[in-house]
Amino acid sequence: LVSSTGGNRNSILVSNRQKGNPLLKHIRNVRWAFADIVCDYLLGQNSCALYLSLRYHLLHPDYLYFRIRELQKNFKLRVVLCHVDVEDVVKPLLEVTKTALLHDCTLLCAWSLEECGRYLETIKVYENKSAELIQGQMDMDYLSRLNNALTSVRHVNKTDVVTLGSTFGSLSNIMDASVDDLARCPGIGERKVKRLYDTFHEPFKRVV
Amino acid sequence: MVEFHEHIISDLLEDPIGGVVVVSAGLGLPKLISSLLSLHDPSQGSVLILNASPSQKNSIDTDSQLSSITSDLPSHHRLSFYTSGGIFFITPRILIVDLLTQRLPTTSIAGIILLNAHSLSDTSTEAFIVRIMRSSNRSLYVRAFSDRPHAMVSGFAKPERLLKCLFLRKLHLWPRFQVYVSQNLERDPPEVVDIRVPMSPYMIGIQKAVIEVMDACLKEMRKTNKVDVEDLTVENGLFKSFDEIVRRQLDPIWHTLGKKTKQLVSDLKTLRKLLDYLSRYDAVTYLKYLDSLRASESFRSVWIFAESSYKIFEYAKKRVYHFGQSESGKSIGVSRTTSTRKRKLDEKNKDGDDSSASASSGLILKEILEEPPKWKVLRDILVEIQKEGQKQSMAGQEEIHGDLNGIVLVACKDEHSCMQLQDCITKGQHKVMQEEWEKYLLSKVELQALPKYDKKKPKAPKGFGVLDGVIPSVSGQKAEVSSISKPENDALMAAAYEISKQAKKDTDVKDGGANEEHAKGKKNGRKNKKQMIGKTDRECETSIQSETPHSNQKETVNDQNLSAAGHLLGDATEGNYRCVLQKHDDQGPENNSAFSSVHFHALESNQSLLDILQPSVIIVYHPDIAFVREIEIYKSENPSKRLKVYFLFYEDSTEVQKFDASVRRENGAFESLIRQKSLMMIPVCQDEQFLGVNSSQEPQSIAAQNVITRKAGGRKEAEKEMQIIVDMREFMSSLPNVLHQKGMRIIPVTLEVGDYIVSPLICVERKSIQDLFGSFSSGRLYHQVEMMSRCYRIPVLLIEFSQDKSFSFQSASEIGDDVTPNSIMSKLSLLVLHFPRLRIVWSRSLHATAEIFAMLKVNQDEPDVGKAIRIGVPSEDGIIENDIRAENLNTSAVEFLRRLPGITDSNYRSVMDGCKNLAEFVQLPMEKLAVLMGGHKAAKTLRDFLDAKYPTLL
Repeated sequence: LVSSTGGNRNSILVSNRQKGNPLLKHIRNVRWAFADIVCDYLLGQNSCALYLSLRYHLLHPDYLYFRIRELQKNFKLRVVLCHVDVEDVVKPLLEVTKTALLHDCTLLCAWSLEECGRYLETIKVYENKSAELIQGQMDMDYLSRLNNALTSVRHVNKTDVVTLGSTFGSLSNIMDASVDDLARCPGIGERKVKRLYDTFHEPFKRVV
Repeated sequence: MVEFHEHIISDLLEDPIGGVVVVSAGLGLPKLISSLLSLHDPSQGSVLILNASPSQKNSIDTDSQLSSITSDLPSHHRLSFYTSGGIFFITPRILIVDLLTQRLPTTSIAGIILLNAHSLSDTSTEAFIVRIMRSSNRSLYVRAFSDRPHAMVSGFAKPERLLKCLFLRKLHLWPRFQVYVSQNLERDPPEVVDIRVPMSPYMIGIQKAVIEVMDACLKEMRKTNKVDVEDLTVENGLFKSFDEIVRRQLDPIWHTLGKKTKQLVSDLKTLRKLLDYLSRYDAVTYLKYLDSLRASESFRSVWIFAESSYKIFEYAKKRVYHFGQSESGKSIGVSRTTSTRKRKLDEKNKDGDDSSASASSGLILKEILEEPPKWKVLRDILVEIQKEGQKQSMAGQEEIHGDLNGIVLVACKDEHSCMQLQDCITKGQHKVMQEEWEKYLLSKVELQALPKYDKKKPKAPKGFGVLDGVIPSVSGQKAEVSSISKPENDALMAAAYEISKQAKKDTDVKDGGANEEHAKGKKNGRKNKKQMIGKTDRECETSIQSETPHSNQKETVNDQNLSAAGHLLGDATEGNYRCVLQKHDDQGPENNSAFSSVHFHALESNQSLLDILQPSVIIVYHPDIAFVREIEIYKSENPSKRLKVYFLFYEDSTEVQKFDASVRRENGAFESLIRQKSLMMIPVCQDEQFLGVNSSQEPQSIAAQNVITRKAGGRKEAEKEMQIIVDMREFMSSLPNVLHQKGMRIIPVTLEVGDYIVSPLICVERKSIQDLFGSFSSGRLYHQVEMMSRCYRIPVLLIEFSQDKSFSFQSASEIGDDVTPNSIMSKLSLLVLHFPRLRIVWSRSLHATAEIFAMLKVNQDEPDVGKAIRIGVPSEDGIIENDIRAENLNTSAVEFLRRLPGITDSNYRSVMDGCKNLAEFVQLPMEKLAVLMGGHKAAKTLRDFLDAKYPTLL
């Protein structure tokens, strides 16, 4: 599994402490290698992760604090990857949250080893990715955008969007439709008609 | 007011602190409340009515004398209302804000009337309100009402918990089978005629197929072993509440379910709608709905592949038209048509065009247009009523005639049916069907008219794949369908084309060249259509009314396929036309006068028309249990009036089944409530206990006892000062309530950045799981986090799970093998990478959140209200202090606006300032748009999106 040292930049470095962690089995999309590092997983130049199983935390409540203290101030992004593997989570999770928050760590919860592995992979893979994906500019095609706009009106579902689209032909026609016209569409009941009509015709600002 | 209403009121008034009243649906709850209100004496203080829906407002306050307290009113006006001793409607949100900011003197309030009590829970804002009010006003009464008994029994010990959270002791149950109620209502029952209308063979076929599929889905569901088998019956499946039953059982383990089970749940919902619409919609509208459904259902749908589903689509189509080879097709068509349609077919055959056309093309499209059987029955009843009325007036029975004012009320479920039935009566059934058919065809043309069409060919099998090409087991059938669908489509197109062309001809004589133009090729023709589509909808009506289509249709068209369809269509219009004329001849003028006094009423609109219209005949077109009760009440209030009620049921239909089941279900709910009432454990001195705890404290720090004991000694004082600034919009959620229960002081303001300000450094954006997914894809979360990071040292994203749902994003099986951009984990990772300072808090439940907030506040200063309000407010916005933004904005419209292309975070405000509403906005000319949106490019993007043609279904 250990690749040549030149590939280190593109792979996750794993602390020797993590040897035997079944989580490693689930890092499949990115190469990884053991190394002598302070954090558990080195995910990039400025980002690292500590792995914590809640069950372990219950036995050793101070562990996380000491591990975080070891990190000093060396990383911009410090992830505490918390594996939620107990039933009664509220109390231990509160403690972990507190520790992470007070010591400038970002807490990510995962409910399975697969999920833990996937977070590590994703943070590595997306290391230099732009935020476009979460800036709301996806699905630029007409139908997705139309769905996105119309389904923002409560109770309106995708079938209704198809009905409205095929009945009125275009969004501006839909927005111009009268109450009666809307009510004539199959599947669009009183409530939806009112919602739609009010959305389009009530003023933006209800100020006097 | 009926007698038993008086009983209810006197029972309720016995206890000065109030009680919870549950009555059967339709037993006149609004009337009951308005008579209760009429007993109010202003000297006692004001009465606030919470949770009234607009229709409930109207029916409680029939002469609109009561006013509503909204946030539009300046605060001193609100104060004067609160202290005036009047009766007011108010929303929980404005009330809680006024209570928390101490703008409301609680002693000036006599009591609260709570409607829709079934929707309450101990964390809801209403409970919050009652708790605060009670703590400072011992004499306050709370009277809560519900007329949805089945909603009162959902969940564990709901009535008991409801009473506790409202600090009440008495639960009053008034089922329809209660002895006073039934005595009152059965003393002088109306004359009832129960008519069972047989369904057409195709309707029976569809119903059978839907139930089969439903049953299959339920069986699949049982196999999962996740749901209580007892609840999984087709009968339960007929009700909306079925989803709740299933969801409630599945929610805690929702993440462990595979996609298939989730899909089954949503499929059952779809199937229920299909059954419901089968008895409500006419054949064409039903087919149209199925078409939309097919286009929008995801490929995962289980039901759509079931063998019986094929029948649903097939029969639905056969109710509307038949398409096939001329010889064999015809024989099938005739053999399968029911008696209702025969006459029409005969007419067609008489004209002779039929056979010649089909011989030339080999393919024919035959309209069948089955009418809903109830239409004819309705008409017959109306005629009968009319005749009876005449007889009576001829016999000179004056007093009876005066009694029978001749007003007939037809009650349907929805507005759509009302309009359609009205049309049926004024225009005749055939014509209505014809118009629906033309609309259907035209909508197809419109869709096909896209330039995309040519590319469509190779893709065709894929497009149909949803239904027709995927499952191997029925491949024989499937292949047939997909091979047929292309010419079938063409034929439909051709028919549609004929309609639009005729419409055009009638209005535009110059357009004689249409023939040649058409002969040049389909493409031209389509373009032509596209231009006039906007007009045709209205014009086709006029064209059919005038005599001209008859002559027009004789012209020859080169394309044989088209001509066949065209002729058929022409014949149909002609035949139909004649038929309508005939009717008018038969029945003449008396017909019109009979139907003039017919009123239509949509049950969905929730208005009570009975008292206003005072009908003497009621035709219940779609049976509904609540409406039946309303009729009973109306009758017992007017015992001298003669009243005849017709029920129209489809024989052996799910409609009947559903009606019977709804009665059984309600009775069952009441029996369960009665049982629960006898076992309820309500502490007798609940009120005193409650007040005892808090009498020494300020109303703002009603601390749960464990908080007090935990933080013993000198910490108590520090705790009193715990403050959290909460955005006004957050009062939709229950968190402020729970925080208050934990003993924190809640300061409601309008925040531009964040939802909760915990300290000068910590700002929290709260997201429920659903919100989280939504705001990731809209990009809003990114911008919110960006703003928080800019304005606060410690920006916190709080991900709040719901107590009764699973605590995880997804099941392990859903994670997949690769890093995919759409996964929630990828989005979260990206967010974390871009905002390394962002702290994420994962909360198991509301209560866990409150604990986390308390933890966050340790060693932090209290937040500064003034500062928090100013942070992040764009300077050009001016002063927005004391402005309850969410209340003053049409939030739905703002949300919609922000999702339009070309609208960004930077220009949506100026758009909202620049025009009144969305409808006005989209009509603006380009230049104006460019000014408002800050650029031509953005304006053009938007304009293009608005005017883009909706693409084809097929």
